[in-house]
This record gives sequence, structure tokens and C-alpha cells, in this order.
Amino acid sequence: MPMYYFHLRDDQTVPDVDGTDLLNASEARDHAIGVARELMFRSEGMLDHNWALWKMSVHDNEGNELFSFRLTGPTDNE
Amino acid sequence: MNTTGGVPVGRWSNRLLRTLPREPSALLEQDLRQVSLTQGRVCFEAGKAIDQVYFPLTGMISLLVATGDGEMVETGTIGCEGAAGLQCGLGESYSYGLATVQIPGNFATITAKRFREVASSSLPIRDLIYRYTEILWSEAQQSAACNAVHAGSARLCRWLLRTADCIDSNVILLTQEYLADMLGVRRTTVTLLAQELQSRGAIRYTRGRIHILDRGALEARACECYQAIKQKNLLLDIGVNAHSG
Repeated sequence: MPMYYFHLRDDQTVPDVDGTDLLNASEARDHAIGVARELMFRSEGMLDHNWALWKMSVHDNEGNELFSFRLTGPTDNE
Repeated sequence: MNTTGGVPVGRWSNRLLRTLPREPSALLEQDLRQVSLTQGRVCFEAGKAIDQVYFPLTGMISLLVATGDGEMVETGTIGCEGAAGLQCGLGESYSYGLATVQIPGNFATITAKRFREVASSSLPIRDLIYRYTEILWSEAQQSAACNAVHAGSARLCRWLLRTADCIDSNVILLTQEYLADMLGVRRTTVTLLAQELQSRGAIRYTRGRIHILDRGALEARACECYQAIKQKNLLLDIGVNAHSG
């Protein structure tokens, strides 16, 4: 299975150094959304920056960015 | 105490054994044996009879409840401050959930049958069982609340601090998969949260190994559950010391 990496970026990077084996890009998208929800649950942000400043950038094993999205805010009820 | 492998560590490494009065302690001593247990070793299965009591000397045991779809939720941790299966000293007991070795290490063990015999003749041991069972129950309730309402980062800090206390070490040997299971989140989430803590200088993280560098930073970011559980455990010390005196 291909490996995907889920980095967080604003003016700095929080790297996903481990990566995750997933079936395809569609699974990677679901995984990215799930991770974003878990990170934002009852949380204001990361490294003193509000979540709205961060985006999640998903890469394949060759380092190509497949897609990215902004983390828009807390998702307590999701 | 007999030694069956690993680095010999005296029973004094376990708080419960250390704080027992001399007479009941001597009774247990004859039948305790020391074993080295690897990560993932199942101590008790859900619904099965408890046949051994485990007193961690250097490792840690997690109490887990499995959901219908195979996910695990941690409801308690037992390190060198406690024991797993202690309740069997009051009568034949069955484990509600799964108990597994989360951090490998050395453990003092005694058969449930022998432990019951010793406990039946020792008020201090029975008192200890009541007190410690109450603490585990409190921890389970605190964990349930924590999992429901606290942010992943705060829970990760709480878990690292609690584990460090349990094994009396600032170096935790644990894979991301295990840690993700314990916190009920994806492994990627743990990786990113751990990277954040590392960039703040609170931990140094490599694959399978977390080194706590700044406990103060972790305590500042942990939810109040860490202190609540710690305070409960301190109450046990007060109770035991009062009984011993």
C-alpha cells in the first residue's frame, strides 16, 4: 500500500515523520479529515497559532503534495 | 523473592509491597516470584478468572475495555505504585476488561489462590486491597471524563506524565500505534502532537522511544486529570502510613 504523509503548515511546519499506509488518495483524504478533527477537538491551535492559520498538506511517498486544506476552527461537535 | 529472568529488582521497587507492615510482607515474600514480561503480554482476558496478581517493579500494565468493532479504550494504568488483580484477594474474581503489559519490565507475581490465603489472614492486606481498588475505580471515572471532553494534546501530556510516574523513568519505550490506541486517536494525530511537544523542548521523540525533557512544560499543558489521579494515589500513601504506624 502507498505511504501518505500529513504535514501541518503555516509559517512553520509540523512534520508527519512517520507516514501512514493507505489504500489510495481517497482514503488519504478521509484520514486527513479525521486527523484534523482529532487535532482541533477542544483545542484553540498549535504552537500558539490559531487553527485557522494552519493548513494540512498531504504528500505521497515521493514528496509530491496531493492536496491541502485549511483548518478553519474547532469542531467540538463533530 | 525468586528471580526467573531479567535484571533482579527487589520488591521494594513496588510501592504496595514496600509499604506493607513486616508480618504480612513476610507472608507474601515466600511466594512472590519475579518475571520479565514483554510488551503486549496479556495478564487477564475480559470475563476470565484472575489467576495471578502482578506487582510491577519496572514495567506498566494497562487496563483496557474493547468495543464491539475491536477498538480499545484505556481505563487505567498500573505501574510500580500499584498492582493488577489485587481484588482477587477478597474472593474469586473475574476481570471486567483486558489487562496487558504496556511497558515491558520486571514484575513480582503471586498466584491468586495463594494471595487469597495470605489476605484472608491479614487485615493490612485486605485494607490495602480496598483502598487501591477505590483508586483504580476513581481513575477509570477520571479517564472516562477525560476521553470525552479534553483535547488530544492535553491528554497526551497527561498520559506521558502518568506513565513516567508509573515506571519511575523519564524514558518511555512505546510505539506510536500503542500510544494512539491508548488515547483513542489516529497514529498520525499522535505523531503531530508529539512533534509539537518536541519543538517546544518538552520531549525528544524517536520511533518507539519518548524521552521527557521538561516535566514542567508537560504539566502546564496536561489536563487537570493528571493532578487528580496523582492526588488520589497520594491518599493511598497516607492511608497505608497511618495503618503501618
